[in-house]
Amino acid sequence: MKVAKIKVKDNIEKTVLSFLRETIDKKLFDAILIPMMVPAGDSYAWVLAQDKSLLDGAYYLPPIMSVQGAKALSSVTKGGKVNKRVAAIMRPCEIRAAIELSKLNQIELENIFLISMDCPGALPLKDWLKDPKRGVDVFKKVIQHFVDEEPKPDKSVRPACAICHRFSDSDAVDLHIGILGTEGEDILFIPHSTQAEAIFAELGLSLNENLSRWQKGVDEVLKQRKKKRAQVQEELKSTVVGFDKLLDTFSNCINCHICQSVCPICYCRQCYFDSDKVKHPPDDYLMRAESKGNISLLPDKILFHLGRMSHMALSCVGCGACEDACPMSIKVAQIFSLIADRSQGLFNYIAGKSIEEPLPMRVYEDDEFHEVESP
Amino acid sequence: MKTKDFEPKIMTFLCNWCSYAGADLAGVSRLQYPTNTRVIRVPCSGRIDPLFILKCLQDGYDGVLISGCHPGDCHYISGNYVARRRFAILKTALEFMGIEPGRVQFSWVSAGEGEKFSQVISKVTEAVKVLGPMRKLVKAANSLVG
Repeated sequence: MKVAKIKVKDNIEKTVLSFLRETIDKKLFDAILIPMMVPAGDSYAWVLAQDKSLLDGAYYLPPIMSVQGAKALSSVTKGGKVNKRVAAIMRPCEIRAAIELSKLNQIELENIFLISMDCPGALPLKDWLKDPKRGVDVFKKVIQHFVDEEPKPDKSVRPACAICHRFSDSDAVDLHIGILGTEGEDILFIPHSTQAEAIFAELGLSLNENLSRWQKGVDEVLKQRKKKRAQVQEELKSTVVGFDKLLDTFSNCINCHICQSVCPICYCRQCYFDSDKVKHPPDDYLMRAESKGNISLLPDKILFHLGRMSHMALSCVGCGACEDACPMSIKVAQIFSLIADRSQGLFNYIAGKSIEEPLPMRVYEDDEFHEVESP
Repeated sequence: MKTKDFEPKIMTFLCNWCSYAGADLAGVSRLQYPTNTRVIRVPCSGRIDPLFILKCLQDGYDGVLISGCHPGDCHYISGNYVARRRFAILKTALEFMGIEPGRVQFSWVSAGEGEKFSQVISKVTEAVKVLGPMRKLVKAANSLVG
């Protein structure tokens, strides 16, 4: 595989932005979907930037994930394809969610040029909001540790990010930005489509660098993350798997449904759990309380989470938005990682890995899963 | 509760085209089978959302049986294949939730298999009896319920 190497000027952020600016200059893209710092400086919002001067406040890799990128892209392309060329620059988990959503007909990827990057993770929103200025510095350190020749895991990223093992390149994107193993000196632009190669030619970028240094960095981080993932999941199994433990885990849920509303994959216009279907006459609740001894209110809290698990597990991309948003700090994303690994594993499916792989629920084989048939 | 005293309540979802007709045939053939089941007729086994099953278990049913057309016989071509995939996922989820996978059973019964229908009901009832009553998402007297 051939890549283009660009020397970092000032910092990685600025170098990537100047690359993007050039693509607009040369009219290779009409707009860029990218996070931008809000005027107050304490958060980042997605913008569809057409004016290159506005790119000054943009961040290709913001310290936090305020809105999952796939949701932003879905809001633009839900109604059909865009007729201009748009580059969307998103974290790998946001890319995966976008791929899943395109399979679920919630995103139209035509004319969308997907760009991903090596992602060190994001900071927890709760930590960030305490002191955004400090957060910026913390995140700088996170990136420094990440791109080091001997990358070190950083404790300040979100738990879901610390166990993420799909933080780097995937075939689903047009262009990947590699920063691992470079000590922050270079950036690798790795093309995955002919369109990306055409853009390189247009910009006069030559393809020649070898990838060994970057690959070494990727492999090292992968090793660390996989180890951490196995360890966290093992611990989690002993605290959440099983009837009592699951009830305990979700007992402090306040039924706000924020995990559902921030989830990129939970796209239904109306959720069963927000519908009148789950509202019953008073006597029904008394009857339930009588048969069980008591019922906790608000009702259907556990069923909501179990329902989401069974609906979402196949397409969960592990972005951690649910856990980040949970006001009660329930380990939703980590729990989902357990259930998603298991159910996606049944079909050898990885959510959002490739656009060609069909959703497991859209296809079937005559001869499979005979073990569930009984008696 | 002792196993022999325990009469489980089992929710049974039957597809309109095969299994419901199979149940009908069992009835008109005067075949005997346990009366622990409550039948809900659905257009296709593919219509069943895992949520229906979880809701049954939550609301006091001790077991759930889903029965559809044999592979290749689905009135809607592929509904039963999709259902089978869905239950494969649900089975892994049930283990995770600490609910015995034996409480949820999935079988194929055609319109001509009245005999098989009565056997399936007997077997499922027996299996759920052995598992005992479903815990009603209650932990202890003083704890919270879902």
